[in-house]
Amino acid sequence: MLRTRFKDILGLNRRNQEYIRPYNPPSAKRIADNKILTKRILRKEGIKTPEVYKLIRTKKQLEFLDWDSLPKSFVIKPNKGTGGNGIIIFYGKTKSGDAWIRPNGQTMSQRDIVLHIENILEGRFSMGSKKDIAILEERVKTDPLLKQYSYKGVPDIRIICFNKIPIMAMTRLPTKRSNGTANLHSGAICTGIDIATGITTYSMHMSPTAIMSDTYELLDKTIDLKQNKILSGIQIPDWNNLLEIALKCQKAIGLGYIGVDIALDRDKGPVVFEVNARPGLGIQVANQTGLRWRLEKARGLDVKSIKHGIRLGKNLFGGEIEESIESISGRKVLNIVERVSVYHKPAVSMRKRKQKIKVDKEIINTFMDTGVLTSRMTSSLANRIGFTDATKYFKSIEMPSNFSTLKDAQDYIDTQGKEIVKHEDILRLAKVVEDGKINIRPVIRITVKMLGDVKDIEVVITNDIIYPLVIGRSELSGYLIDTTKTFK
Amino acid sequence: MEYSPFTTWLLNHGLSSQTLELLIAIAILATIVSFARYLFGTKSYGVYAPIILAIAYSYTGLKYGLVITAVVIATSLLSYSMLKKIRMHYITRIAINYCILTISLILFFVLINRFVLTLDNLQNIPPLAMISIAALGDFFTKQYVKKSLKASMLIVFSTIAISTIGWYVITRDVISTYFSNNLWIIPVLILANIAVGQFKGLRVKDFFRFRSITGSKENA
Repeated sequence: MLRTRFKDILGLNRRNQEYIRPYNPPSAKRIADNKILTKRILRKEGIKTPEVYKLIRTKKQLEFLDWDSLPKSFVIKPNKGTGGNGIIIFYGKTKSGDAWIRPNGQTMSQRDIVLHIENILEGRFSMGSKKDIAILEERVKTDPLLKQYSYKGVPDIRIICFNKIPIMAMTRLPTKRSNGTANLHSGAICTGIDIATGITTYSMHMSPTAIMSDTYELLDKTIDLKQNKILSGIQIPDWNNLLEIALKCQKAIGLGYIGVDIALDRDKGPVVFEVNARPGLGIQVANQTGLRWRLEKARGLDVKSIKHGIRLGKNLFGGEIEESIESISGRKVLNIVERVSVYHKPAVSMRKRKQKIKVDKEIINTFMDTGVLTSRMTSSLANRIGFTDATKYFKSIEMPSNFSTLKDAQDYIDTQGKEIVKHEDILRLAKVVEDGKINIRPVIRITVKMLGDVKDIEVVITNDIIYPLVIGRSELSGYLIDTTKTFK
Repeated sequence: MEYSPFTTWLLNHGLSSQTLELLIAIAILATIVSFARYLFGTKSYGVYAPIILAIAYSYTGLKYGLVITAVVIATSLLSYSMLKKIRMHYITRIAINYCILTISLILFFVLINRFVLTLDNLQNIPPLAMISIAALGDFFTKQYVKKSLKASMLIVFSTIAISTIGWYVITRDVISTYFSNNLWIIPVLILANIAVGQFKGLRVKDFFRFRSITGSKENA
């Protein structure tokens, strides 16, 4: 395993010049910067967005706003706002009915809200301080799963897509410090998501004490809930659908490099909050990996469909969950069928070198079997890696073809085994059940490389296995086995 | 001061030496701001604010300039915090901020006169330079309204830091004389800005920001 190097990380300079400028045309950026237009386009494509209750374009419209027609909970947003500025969420009305309640418990009277909307109209929160439109929209009711990890507000999931491939994802969880918003700069927690599985990995938040902004602090639990919960290992529901929605948004808006913010509504399911033409780079910290190498891998690939894009994203960039588990548990994750390098016996390598065939190891699809103690290998593989003499020698020995009980077999090994078997490569004999019969087979020592670890292991030569090599549980301590995948 | 033939020609054709120095200072300061942004990741209130601030400091002297800046920021902070609870429109809030700033600066001058406080030369400061510094209050309040106090203070400090570096550069006689006599450097500054404008590498700030990632394992 390699460490992430600075050259794998995407900085603002490169993001702007290599990805935003060439891949995000001004027309598409104009759509992404305009929430109303974005909603209209996404709805045409059948993508759900929060329902708009009112659009206030002028002070006159504000003056005649029918406040009674508004539900108890709603959200006010500037149409062209940036960085979550100017967004206010209301959870309900006070008992007296003359004020609305915010996530932190503070209330805002109708006059306060009018003033806030007037500020939006004047462009206080919009890009370039230009005149803006205030959107009064539905408040998303958070899915119960993510709700338990966030302090009030609405958590969301950001998926970055490039060249119709999902590249990286994170979930942003509101905290007390962030006042219920999912804004990282305000103190929300960001948790990386494994693209392949939709399972959360690393978590962090911006350090409240750091002098420099953008200084992150690693977390393993939520920070301000009554009962703080571990943040890694959460399965984001409906993950494939979320990836599909993100790619559909990319196609509909026309941005080559896009950040799609999706919330999970209790009743409606995934709802797209907004699309971002200049998504921030903090997602790299949440995933503990760089965006640059991923974007470079995705660039130029011919993506035929949304499904193809998802498959590519999962295959190219999945697997963070394994690293996360490894860092937490100290154990490496092996797939149930893993590619393992099997080293040839030195003599064979020498011969092959003489023949100018530079092969001293081969990669074998290997089955991880916790049901057997000792590892197993087929005789053909044993022959290939240089144990032909040993297998021939064993075949030449006269010995009972099968035993009625395991005890009989063990007695035979204990009493006569050492005298019968006198070959330098055969370490000992082992009893195995082959096709329902109890047999005795030779054990040899081979060298393998699994997940970067080179180790000598003992293997029984037997042909009663489906894979050429089976690793038994005596070699699997210190590993976790992922049964969902065959190999990377 | 001896000028090169080209500079002498310019000075004989309607350009005063002070204007020339000021114009050169603008080019240098703008380049410092762009280098600070794209190589170091230092945010500032655009390009205009650090330029104006650095030029103002060159008229007031750094010590007086920084003191006035501190008064402006403290007043803006105080007035915004006081007015936050009162319902009013944004522009009126800014206007009140300026009114309070006027009062604070008057009080400040009186206090300095009364207690001296090693700033005895304050009365000689050109008023226009002081007004230029006062404009920083507007930038600060605008930022403070949108972002947190911490974020606004960070940008103020980095703007002041860039302006201070700029002040140092433009007030060196050696630099000023060299640039006045070698005006070809201005196109060189343009080329340098083009180069920085195309720089794709990480900013110095990015190295700090992403240092936690480089300590982690990768499956590249």
